[in-house]
Amino acid sequence: MPSARIRRGLGLLAAAAVVASLAGCGSDDDSSPSSASGSDPSTGATTEAASDDGSGEVSVTMANEGGSDTCTLDRDSVEAGPITFTVTNESATGVTEVELLSDQKILGEKENLAPGLDPVTFTVTLGGGDYQIYCPGADPEMVPFTVTGEAATEPVGDTQQALQDGATQYATYVDEQVASMVQGVQTLQAAVESGDLAASQDAYAKARIFYERIESDVEGFVLDGFKPTDNHGNLDYLIDMRASNLDPEVGWHGFHAVERDLFGRQAITDSTKQLAAELTDNVTKLSELAKTLQYKPEDLANGAAGLLEEVQANKISGEEEEFSHIDLVDFAGNVEGAEQSFAYLKPGLEQIDGALTDTIAQRFDAVTTLLDTYRDASELGGYQRYTAELKKSDANELSQTVQALQDSLSRLAEKVATA
Amino acid sequence: MAELGSGLSRRRLLGGAGAGVALGAAGFGVGRWTDDGSASAASSAAVDGLDLGRSVDFYTGAHQAGIETPQQRYCVFMTFDLTASTAQELQVLLARWSAAIAQCMAGEPVGTVAPERAGAVAADTGEALDLGPASLTVTLGLGPRVFDERFGLADRKPTLLADLPALPSDTLRPELTGGDLSLQACADDPQVAYHAIRDLARMGRGVVNTRWVVLGFGRASAGKGQSTPRNLMGFKDGTRNIKEAADLDTHVWAADDDVDWMRGGGTYQVVRKIRMDIEIWDADDVADQQRIFARRKQDGSPLTGKDEFDTPDFAATDDAGQAVIDPISHVALAAHENNNGIRIFRRGYNFTDGINDVGQLDAGLLFVAYMNDPDSFVQLQTKLGRADSLNEYIAHIGSGIFAVPPAPEKGHYLAEALFS
Repeated sequence: MPSARIRRGLGLLAAAAVVASLAGCGSDDDSSPSSASGSDPSTGATTEAASDDGSGEVSVTMANEGGSDTCTLDRDSVEAGPITFTVTNESATGVTEVELLSDQKILGEKENLAPGLDPVTFTVTLGGGDYQIYCPGADPEMVPFTVTGEAATEPVGDTQQALQDGATQYATYVDEQVASMVQGVQTLQAAVESGDLAASQDAYAKARIFYERIESDVEGFVLDGFKPTDNHGNLDYLIDMRASNLDPEVGWHGFHAVERDLFGRQAITDSTKQLAAELTDNVTKLSELAKTLQYKPEDLANGAAGLLEEVQANKISGEEEEFSHIDLVDFAGNVEGAEQSFAYLKPGLEQIDGALTDTIAQRFDAVTTLLDTYRDASELGGYQRYTAELKKSDANELSQTVQALQDSLSRLAEKVATA
Repeated sequence: MAELGSGLSRRRLLGGAGAGVALGAAGFGVGRWTDDGSASAASSAAVDGLDLGRSVDFYTGAHQAGIETPQQRYCVFMTFDLTASTAQELQVLLARWSAAIAQCMAGEPVGTVAPERAGAVAADTGEALDLGPASLTVTLGLGPRVFDERFGLADRKPTLLADLPALPSDTLRPELTGGDLSLQACADDPQVAYHAIRDLARMGRGVVNTRWVVLGFGRASAGKGQSTPRNLMGFKDGTRNIKEAADLDTHVWAADDDVDWMRGGGTYQVVRKIRMDIEIWDADDVADQQRIFARRKQDGSPLTGKDEFDTPDFAATDDAGQAVIDPISHVALAAHENNNGIRIFRRGYNFTDGINDVGQLDAGLLFVAYMNDPDSFVQLQTKLGRADSLNEYIAHIGSGIFAVPPAPEKGHYLAEALFS
């Protein structure tokens, strides 16, 4: 998990930069970037078509010589234009990837290299200048490389701009979710006030998913006037704390205290009404604070990985929804939120690392396809209840499928930071 | 403990010495040393005959390491299910695993432990850094379902690779049985073995799911030149194991296998997770225990002999005309003299899973055996499962069968010929 951010509260409000759309949930919006899977299996064993205009061919060869791994180019200079790099790992067991860098920015790369696999190629159009071939694990790791001729015709920073555009648009998505969450807890509060247990349970299940989609973005807020160590001012604590981590000095507040009453005690008391009202109050505060947030591309990458960590830590175990057992609803919310982060980064990410982008897209597909098998419109929140029996039989596959996605997603932050 | 390890074979240790300097430590343990000072770890461990600076070569081009390699003290054995949909994903995994295994066996990390770039996750998880190679070997096997309809490899399936039939006394648990791939990681430092499995499993995510794992904490078989260790029943195990190269050629290496990718040094691996009812065994008197094994507990000698390595005399009778070695004793039933010469090469480990749900010690034997025809195991276990006196105290709860391809040459990877 990327380090939790401690955010100072209300003072930021003046700087609110993004206008929240209150138009409800955004995840089904057709205008959202999709994360349709690519089917390129370029995992290292195939070769792509080499450029045939003869303007530039460079061979990159990794080998183990005298006990250390080397990375060598067959030429250290080439004319500007489309340049095809052919990468062969002859025997270097410690090198699995190669990157073409310009001033620490990744312009092209190949992963999953291993001795014995066929050579792989990538083609990049380069202007005149100094570049480096980076072979992590080789000695030396960085091999200088010169392109002669005119400087780049394409504006530098395209990829960076694409990523930042995605991050900026993502803020709108978060705002939509937060606004929907406010509406959700208001509906929940109204149902609780009316004393209708079934309606309250239904409202609870419907309100949860908005928080789950964005929880990694909106955590870490501390209300003004409180120390970071004082949970009285910790909005995460006040909104989403579970029984397992209660602070005796603060007591239990938020969604899960309401859940305990509605599903565990199956009763609405004055205390439940107070908890529901307080939840609305705190979520409203959170929505004001969230509007002030601005996102860098790595925030999206870290946030997506963080959401999947939430799945692994709390949903697979069934701890999140101990009383209602709607863990699969939360699970779906975490995955949907992560997929949105990824989708907004995707246009830029594809320019950095197409293979990783495809891998992540395929693994999102694997997770959502698996999750779809648990859909049940007759159940609260639209998914089967995550009972002890279901957990026993299915948690292994759910967890391993998510872990495969999380592992690949955890590599995103480094990629976007180098764009 | 009788085992001092002073008889460890050095034959393989000198082969492939490349980067390091060969040193002697305390009169034994000649091996390859890393440059980073693991000599200090080796010198303290030298007291019990261990040399954690010793490494084994992965790229033998013949048999995979971890079979005839002098058996290390610890083992992590894990199986995996393929979730990949294409043969290419399996191919890339085997290539990446091969390179990573070579790194680990050399005592090197599989990538950066602490990358400098912002936001980067580590390539290697780091817990084996500075521990030395510790004679790590990682041995890979392929299960029968690799060759089902999923990957288009059906015509490359060895005829001999098939699920084991149901055998007498089997009490197999599905979650401890089967698997598409197996990794046997053995080392003289348990953390080195665990690190290898952990990082290989991590590398495999999205292509394989973990299926079952056994952590072996002590060797329960002997290879050539090794003293005979004891299983958790307190008896020496592996006294009559295959030791000689000629016998390995006869019984273990699949020289004439019907698929090309297995020829040149392949073999078959049969694995059984055998639970022992330890408390019940411990309440049995030693004379009865010795009858069950047909060996003496203290020195491992057969009931018809004086020394551990005396050949049991299955025909001997006592003054009353009774057979000295009970015909339903473990040794009598398993002996090659009584099984048409069938022999298998065992490389087992003692394991424990802690305490079971009724408060008993949960432990037993991870039986790992190599043979050039899995039917050898089937014949032996059919006989043992029917009649072995030991069955009162054990249960076979897990099982797997895997084809173990030859080791690659440098620049190649395990089972590469499968994809050509």
